[in-house]
Amino acid sequence: MNDSTGQASHDPITLEIIQNSLQAVADEMFATMRKTAMSSIIYEVLDMGTGILDARGRIASSGAGIPSFVGVLDKAVQVLLAKFPQETIRPGDVFITNDPYYGGVTHLNDLVVAMPVFAEGCLIAWTANIAHNSDVGGMAPGSLSVQATEIFQEGLRLPAIRLIDAGEANESVFAILRCNSRMPNFLEGDLWAAIAAVRIGARRLTELATKYGIETFETAMEGFMTFGEKVTLSTLATLPHGTFELDEEQDDGRVYNVKVTISPNEFVVDLRNNPDQDVGPTNTSRDGAMICAQMMLKALCAPQSPANDGTFRPIRLLTREGSVFHAREPAAIGFYFETEVRVFDLIWRCLAQHMPQRLGAGHFATIGGTFIGGIHPDTGRQYTIIEPQIGGWGGREGHDGNSALFSGFHGETYNCPAEISEARNGLHIGRMALHTGPGGEGQWCGGRGIVIDYGVRQDNSFLTIGYTRSRIMPWSLKEGHEGTGNYALILRCDGTQERHAFISGLRVDKGDVIRIVTGTGGGYGNPALRDRALVARDVKNGLITAEHAQRIYTT
Amino acid sequence: MSRKTIRVTTDVGGTFTDLVCFETDHATGESHVLTAKSDTTPPNFEQGVLNVIEKAGIMASTIDFLAHGTTVVINALTERKGAKVGLISTEGFRDILEIARGNRPDFFNLNYRKPPPFVPRHLRAELPGRLSYKGEESTPLDMAALPSIIDMFRAEGVQAIAVCFLHSYTNSSHEQAVTAEIRRLWPEVSVVASHQITREWREYERTNTTVLSAYVQPVAERYLSRLRSGLTDRGFSGNLFIMQSNCGVDSVDSTSATPITMVESGPASGFWGAAELGRMIGEPNVLALDIGGTTAKCSLIENGQVRIMTDYWIERDRTSAGYPIMVPVVDLVEIGNGGGSIAWVDEFAKLHVGPKSAGASPGPAAYGRGGTDATTTDANLWLGRINRDYFCGGSVKADMEAAERALEALGAKIGISTTDVARGIIRIANNNMTNALKLISLNRGFDPRDFTLVAFGGGGAMHAVALGMELGVRKVVIPASASVFSAWGMMMSDLRHDYFVTRLMDMAEGAESAIGTLFAEIEAAATERFVQESVPAESIRFIRYVKLRYQNQEHTTEVPIPAEDLAAGHLADILAAFHQTYEREYTYRLDAPVEMVGVHLVASAAVGKLNMKERPSGTPDANGALKGRRQVDYAQDGLHEAAIYNGDRLASGMRFHGPAIVEDSGTTIVIHPGNTVSVDGYGNLHILLVSGEAA
Repeated sequence: MNDSTGQASHDPITLEIIQNSLQAVADEMFATMRKTAMSSIIYEVLDMGTGILDARGRIASSGAGIPSFVGVLDKAVQVLLAKFPQETIRPGDVFITNDPYYGGVTHLNDLVVAMPVFAEGCLIAWTANIAHNSDVGGMAPGSLSVQATEIFQEGLRLPAIRLIDAGEANESVFAILRCNSRMPNFLEGDLWAAIAAVRIGARRLTELATKYGIETFETAMEGFMTFGEKVTLSTLATLPHGTFELDEEQDDGRVYNVKVTISPNEFVVDLRNNPDQDVGPTNTSRDGAMICAQMMLKALCAPQSPANDGTFRPIRLLTREGSVFHAREPAAIGFYFETEVRVFDLIWRCLAQHMPQRLGAGHFATIGGTFIGGIHPDTGRQYTIIEPQIGGWGGREGHDGNSALFSGFHGETYNCPAEISEARNGLHIGRMALHTGPGGEGQWCGGRGIVIDYGVRQDNSFLTIGYTRSRIMPWSLKEGHEGTGNYALILRCDGTQERHAFISGLRVDKGDVIRIVTGTGGGYGNPALRDRALVARDVKNGLITAEHAQRIYTT
Repeated sequence: MSRKTIRVTTDVGGTFTDLVCFETDHATGESHVLTAKSDTTPPNFEQGVLNVIEKAGIMASTIDFLAHGTTVVINALTERKGAKVGLISTEGFRDILEIARGNRPDFFNLNYRKPPPFVPRHLRAELPGRLSYKGEESTPLDMAALPSIIDMFRAEGVQAIAVCFLHSYTNSSHEQAVTAEIRRLWPEVSVVASHQITREWREYERTNTTVLSAYVQPVAERYLSRLRSGLTDRGFSGNLFIMQSNCGVDSVDSTSATPITMVESGPASGFWGAAELGRMIGEPNVLALDIGGTTAKCSLIENGQVRIMTDYWIERDRTSAGYPIMVPVVDLVEIGNGGGSIAWVDEFAKLHVGPKSAGASPGPAAYGRGGTDATTTDANLWLGRINRDYFCGGSVKADMEAAERALEALGAKIGISTTDVARGIIRIANNNMTNALKLISLNRGFDPRDFTLVAFGGGGAMHAVALGMELGVRKVVIPASASVFSAWGMMMSDLRHDYFVTRLMDMAEGAESAIGTLFAEIEAAATERFVQESVPAESIRFIRYVKLRYQNQEHTTEVPIPAEDLAAGHLADILAAFHQTYEREYTYRLDAPVEMVGVHLVASAAVGKLNMKERPSGTPDANGALKGRRQVDYAQDGLHEAAIYNGDRLASGMRFHGPAIVEDSGTTIVIHPGNTVSVDGYGNLHILLVSGEAA
């Protein structure tokens, strides 16, 4: 079928092959970025995402990584398309944005890099990626501070601009970026990793489109999205239909509300009835709230099938501008991720009550953003740890919850080995263990969180954390017991202790121990129904004491 | 003495145990090849090996060199048939095995299940004692609790003990002390410590590797000792070597101590064979492709060197995090596409091929054993690519009606004809394989046009030309006896050890001497090990690599360095090579400090490998091998009348053109229109492709 006459070139096999290749290219971009990034938050934690978009900026395929980044890139590219007239976009251009008020969706640390793809002179697609950069300026090291009240305090804003002009790097922009970062080498290295990834992706797409013809290529992309929509609709038809509502109190005493309406062709998430935006940085953009709705829909509808623009078409999101889930410029937004994970968990909890066969009990549900920095006692170099935490997941029908897994917001995310952390950061890691103790019991128990002890070896180091689910515990289902909270304990060398969940720039000194504790997931089902053999196994494994088991599991 | 050298390889597979024997006449240099096959005999796999030697009519006492490959380790792992293991960790870290890395590859799925650890929590013990990342002791080792741990392990029925302490990659003294004490307290138990297997950092990966090695150790030890005694009883007095995952062979003793190094030995011998073949025919840059019944595997060989890495995982895919095994394994990409892969249509009318396979039973529909699923093999038959009258070398009568029924039913689901669906299956299978080949080449910055595609295994030759055209390679080589190529590769293998050692170091002034000292240390240890295995020190060859990165990066780029001590000026050369390699792979370079994370040393010694004799070139006229003509459907390249050649009658120097098919009892070679084929002095087929015709 060499000839490109009409239908012959659009045969289903060719389209299928192009669609497979779209997936392969997104994965290749991901692999490139992972291997070349400078910051451990990118290469180890994999706080990044890659994607391919069509000429109109609709997401066609996405690389592995974290689910919460899949829906970001289309919003960024659409802002670029609105801002730059088509005729000014040229081969070799690379654009950048990080501002949630300019298509950046998340927070200023996340740089979105996008490249237009051309074949035979036509704009046929975009390649793009997003990654968390270690420091983009702002009032605090790592750019995130719980004290921020305006986005201006959270770093350098890049309002959807051209970074590379037809292959020529705009040195002025690079100079401004370097000058505004506390870690310019990291920033530059990570940015080039991102550029390498979009370039490799663009090269592959051009080859594909040239080989099969632009029209066939575009038909394949369009068909892939239609396929995504079909997959969603086919599952949507099988879900319980109706309107479900939930109010939930938060750690800070505020109450969040969600109404979800499911019908055979729509998934409506109504977040209008929520508090006004926060003066602090725990707000999210509307786009951020959209991502939460997208993730929950995808979790319900064939989670293993491709996710693209079509997948999310049945979503309708209702928000109120000026609310915590639809912040108005210039609201601070640095800790948006804790707000997003709350929305995600809120929708999950709202629906789980009505479909416990499909969704398990609540998990520790925090990103667990943890920032530790100071001077490495052996090398004298500045170091900064930026990492999320792992914790316990809820029990579900037929299975205990997973222990020590990143939150539902993460995916192909890796924790940092103690051996590497000790060498790189000069901390002493005293233990890395499962967190045992009461909580999360049920017919199917919640999985365990963890305990990590970071021994500080140098005076004048700092800790910043932003954990939610510290006071309000992971929720249970069907008479299970609720899980336990997330927090950090500072064991000072003078013997005193402090507990924190949200704090910026806390000074820690030589001999202090930062103990991170993450929660056990919620239990599922009445503990009295738990298989005795499983109870005995838990006791033997030291996950629960014999006395506590006696108390909980005998009716 | 004997005027012949007899070299035998045996390979234990899932269904059959295969034997290949090369009998080399010293006077003529000619090798006579003999093959045999018998049933695999679980759980006493050694019996099958002894059986196949007998069946081949070979006297064990006449064998000079016996190389053995086995899936016993990978089977014990995947079937969960290993020993009950107890783990001893550093205090505060016994849960590392269960915490793992916390990742969830199936990232939209909220019902993901994390792979459970191989050792339950109550069998994970801890001992006080700490080493720093520099290898200095910060807390002394305290073994006071060890006797009670051993008692508990005994009471629980533990059969093997794994020991893994923090930072033991840089200082193994605590692990050595504990293993010595365990051997004293409980001499019968299997015990292995992490430093015996790997000297690289990352405590989860190292702990899991040690645990899995302990898990397979009793099974493997028993198997290897029975095999050795069975052979000895039959009068075998030659050298027995075991195939390893790093493309080398190793002694039985060495393999028994850390059997986990055999984990991926199956594909390794074929890739080594491709590297050896490339050197023999002057094609040092090779894309090697092995297509079997269930999977296709590929690996890139640059400059005659296979790439060996320690980033190997089992059971890892898009839906599971799997388990890491940090041992030297040939760098390969494997996909679920082979001759038996089932083609299917999903609920949204999309056609897929694999990863499910029809296996040996019922097999492809055309086997006529009740299989109703269309497979890649059925499509190849339907399109005339495989000879329906000479199916499986004439040993199976092709049930074309069953194949047609299966294909027709599949086509009906998406509204296309039987022939179109057969073409579709081939194109999708080829596309899957092309993507795998791109992963090992383009994805790492290598241009496939600079490589020769060497294809083997049962299905390699059937798809190689189409894949080669897609990738733009100029030449495809199908080795003589492509179906027993892995056995040939095993026979060409060296005794080989790969040492990976983590050592963080700035690539600044003075690094040369520190690097030299480190290599000298490792080379001394390697030499000692070889000498213990009766290999003379002067026959050992070393290849040195350093693993470099820009300061603060994670992933490293491996750069070869000279085998002799580094002079002062060498640092600049190494850095230049690093920047160049890095830029090729990632499109940019940085003006940033470079650091070394570790080194990789290859130590090898030839152990009586086969010396192939090249035959003189004869007539170019291939008509003597022509056995007929038939219609062959080349999918995108259309329908053509192809010349059919008998592979057994092709001889050195013959030339012919596509469209053609070459058949022998084990292989079908599909040659497209426009290709030019020549036969070299070893019987390999060189297929020159015409570029630019791929679409």
